[in-house]
Amino acid sequence: MALPIYTSPGQRLWHYTYLAFCGFVLFFLVAPLVVVIPLSFTSAPFLNFTPEMLALDPEGFSFRWYRGLFGMCGNIEDNISTMCSNKWMTGAKNSLFIAIASTLMATFLGTLAALALSSDNMPARRLIMALMISPLIVPLIITASGMAFFFAKVNLTATWPGIVLAHTILGLPFVVITVTSTLVGFDKSLIRAGANLGGTPTYNFLKIQMPLIAPGMISGALFAFITSFDEIVIILFVGGPQQHTLPLQMWSGIRQEISPTILSAATILVLFSILLLTTLEMLRRRSERLRGITPH
Amino acid sequence: MTTQTALPEGPILTADGIPLKDSLQKSLRQNKLRAMFLVSTPLLFLVFLFIIPIGNMLTRSVDDTFINRVLPSTIEAFESWDKVSEPPESLYSAFVNDVKAADKVDIGKVSTRMNYAKPGWKSLVKRTARKIKKLKGPEYKDDLIKIDKRWADKEFWLSLGIMKDKATFGYFLNAVDKTYDFDKNIIDVEEERKVYNTLWYRTLLVSFIVTIACLILSYPVAYLLATLPMRISNLLMICVLMPFWTSLLVRIVAWMIMLQQNGVVNDTLVASGILSDENRLAMMYNFNGTIIVMTQILLPFMILPLYSVMKTIPPTYMKAAQNLGATPTLAFIRVYMPQTIPGIGAGCILVFIVAIGYYITPELVGGKDGRLIGNMVAYHMQKSLNWGLAAAMGSILLAAILLLYWLYDRIIGIDNMKMG
Amino acid sequence: MKISMKQTLLVSIVAAATASAAQAEVNVASWGGAYTASQQKAYSDTWKEGKVNWINYNGGLGEVKTQVESGAVTWDIVDVLPSDARIGCDEGLFEELDRSMFIPAANGDSMDEDLMVEAPNDCVVPQIWWSYVPFYQEGTFSGAQPTTIADFFNVKKFPGKRGIHTWPNAIIEMALLADGVAIKEVYNVMSTDAGIDRAFEMLDKIKDHAVFWSSGAKPLELVQSGEVAMSLAYNGRIGAAVLSEGAKFVTVWDGQVLEEEWLVLVKGAPNAEEAKKFLIHASAPEQQAGQARYINYGPMRKSAFEIMKAGEPWFHNGKNIMEHMPNRPEVMPRSVVANADWWADYGDSVSERYTAWMAK
Repeated sequence: MALPIYTSPGQRLWHYTYLAFCGFVLFFLVAPLVVVIPLSFTSAPFLNFTPEMLALDPEGFSFRWYRGLFGMCGNIEDNISTMCSNKWMTGAKNSLFIAIASTLMATFLGTLAALALSSDNMPARRLIMALMISPLIVPLIITASGMAFFFAKVNLTATWPGIVLAHTILGLPFVVITVTSTLVGFDKSLIRAGANLGGTPTYNFLKIQMPLIAPGMISGALFAFITSFDEIVIILFVGGPQQHTLPLQMWSGIRQEISPTILSAATILVLFSILLLTTLEMLRRRSERLRGITPH
Repeated sequence: MTTQTALPEGPILTADGIPLKDSLQKSLRQNKLRAMFLVSTPLLFLVFLFIIPIGNMLTRSVDDTFINRVLPSTIEAFESWDKVSEPPESLYSAFVNDVKAADKVDIGKVSTRMNYAKPGWKSLVKRTARKIKKLKGPEYKDDLIKIDKRWADKEFWLSLGIMKDKATFGYFLNAVDKTYDFDKNIIDVEEERKVYNTLWYRTLLVSFIVTIACLILSYPVAYLLATLPMRISNLLMICVLMPFWTSLLVRIVAWMIMLQQNGVVNDTLVASGILSDENRLAMMYNFNGTIIVMTQILLPFMILPLYSVMKTIPPTYMKAAQNLGATPTLAFIRVYMPQTIPGIGAGCILVFIVAIGYYITPELVGGKDGRLIGNMVAYHMQKSLNWGLAAAMGSILLAAILLLYWLYDRIIGIDNMKMG
Repeated sequence: MKISMKQTLLVSIVAAATASAAQAEVNVASWGGAYTASQQKAYSDTWKEGKVNWINYNGGLGEVKTQVESGAVTWDIVDVLPSDARIGCDEGLFEELDRSMFIPAANGDSMDEDLMVEAPNDCVVPQIWWSYVPFYQEGTFSGAQPTTIADFFNVKKFPGKRGIHTWPNAIIEMALLADGVAIKEVYNVMSTDAGIDRAFEMLDKIKDHAVFWSSGAKPLELVQSGEVAMSLAYNGRIGAAVLSEGAKFVTVWDGQVLEEEWLVLVKGAPNAEEAKKFLIHASAPEQQAGQARYINYGPMRKSAFEIMKAGEPWFHNGKNIMEHMPNRPEVMPRSVVANADWWADYGDSVSERYTAWMAK
């Protein structure tokens, strides 16, 4: 977004104000990390900066909350007063599995529904749309209990498929809403053109519609993923003792205390996600280079 | 379309020789079938796993059959009492016989229900139930009053009038600070117990403010992300996605650490001399705290839909408009913004709906005046086990949002947005 | 009839499936964190007859009610608050237990006789007592130090903000105590409208100085950071900070409100037999006392107290524990034992009023 030379001072001012505003919003988004990451290295069990930390005294810092995360419970004090447990690792694995499985299902089903709902010829469109977004509206705790009654009848209580199905329902509205919104601007003559040129409906979808609605699908999938990954109510109602997840571990003991362990867990997740996202970006750039496309 | 000079005889035919009208209708039918086929899988999935189970749950908001099942003769005796004279012996003996015949657990449940109509029923029934089984009769009135003098209180018996029907609107009334008096007239609850209407209003207010705040903060950022070259925008996108990886709890905790009275922000402001020590800002454990934290948490739910819609808008439209003489501002407002309306709509719906159901965040950061209706739903589901009231609040929420959605669809609905 | 047959069949299938999969592990839902860690150390690590699977939940009976009513029960034992212990037993969500199966005290008293409080029903198995209690940090006040509950409500004599929680339990009682109501009379006064008005008048005095908290760690941070001068907190959190982290907190042992914590067996529990064995083990005096090695909540059994007294320093790191016990004989006469029956009757209406008061 470099400015052309001929821009007036007013335009320049406007442009930099705009960039500053965007910078502020982006900072606002990551602001929690500013305290989460340093505080995860505190040696005290409180969630604020101790005088030792502010003075950069090495005494004020420690890895005790990280040790707990990996189940290294050497020190007896850590062992009982913190959340030292290998349940963190099992929880993380379970959460990832549930979130990925339910995101895939929600994205698939949600995209189907959105495609149908954007067709001009869809009967009862408003009603179906309303039904599709209703899982977002009913308070989660009522949904959880209602589903638990149903799952008990069909023997899905305390099973992995049960949890995945329940989370799929939660993710569905996100995908439907985001994909529908990208389809609104979609020029349907493109499909007709594709059909005229002899493409089958599936081929046309994959080659014409899919690339255009991909941003919507991805945002919807992200929302579905995070809804599942951070979900705690449904798990308690529908899951069983085996379905121990990361959020359950995070919220453990919340009535009594909030241990800095959750900060170290978050820090690790953040590092993991930065790694993941930058790898994806590197791969994307590499494939762009290989295909000889210059980024616009 | 004015080239109607050489209109052929008879109906217009397609290349295959089929009348165009039929052909169009056929393709219309095909499209319709295709759409219905596409939607059938997700719809069936949703109906079985969600609509039916939740529908069942929500019927608890009107269901009041249980008391009729457990105390049938009491209700009958109540009907034949004139409500003016002192409660007759027949009422007492009917109650005793019902309790003797009923399962102990059912008596417990029924007393919970009766306590909603008049506080005190629960302990009264509980204290009496065990002793009732030993009473010989045939007269019970004096015996019961001997066990607990509250049995002489007419009010308790009168309150049966609220519970005698098999369906009740009582829970819905309670959810909006109304209640039945003993003659089943709708009245306001006592002044100091009014809490729900304030919470409904506050919930709506918070959701509106958060939605607007998210929109204002997101639009420029989404535009920036959509127009920057991929390599830069993807890096900035990490900022947007990062909060997703820090659990909700962690983000809430982080904001507490930053915004509380002795938190990072206040400390920094005081240290830099902007604020004096006495004037520290109250940004946490109140309404402001709820707004700030919810806005930050819900921001990605606005940015991403906006971004994905903006991504589909070809940059050539703006250039064309400017080539045709529009100033950049005019081109932006007249050409670009209208095309982003679907994204604005999707983002606002997401943020608003998600915000309205929030209860964990307000519970932790809301303090004295930041709690929302979702907190009450959770309270009645988990603590008081008054599922009828919880279901009533859930139903009102569902109805209200669907109404808002319908209005939204009518006013800036998807159909009316096709910019020519 | 047909439905109930079907349900029974389903229940047994589910039960059989869970039982075979989990191999008779007992599933216990508790609050997690340091509290469950102490339960784990004292109860399950010392239990040789089977395995315990600790589940974290966040309180309330929503899950249990759903499990019992739907017939798919997955939890065996739940750690519950006093109000939930009563509601759940009344509504048939818990099994009633044969009281004679529990281990008597060394002096021959049966478990129920050995309790410091009368068991409210036959569903409950003793756990611990915890309390809401005021505390401050050493050096907050110069001159006279707060020693009574009235001092907590006196912002003139002891200036500074007050941390209180966002629900009415204990605060109503404390307000009346501070207003001069005798401990024995508290619930009688609270049962009248005038009594509740009186409590709220007292609360109004600290309304403008109140900082509200809703999670148990918060009051410690509020006091530690100086944001409030005094706060109410769970006694266990104050004790943990003092005993394990060397914090300089002073507890005001006056007008505290004690709350019970019970274990219950869920009706239709899949591993009921093992769960009963575990309950017998966990409620024995040795295990009750053992829990106090790791957390300063007070055991409910008198005999457990004797074991601790004899064994001082009892805390695992070699510190004395008795002075941190909320139910030690010295402070009991100055404490209110929360009346869960009163809260079952009036809890809803008072909490509505409290919510309205907070928002005012």
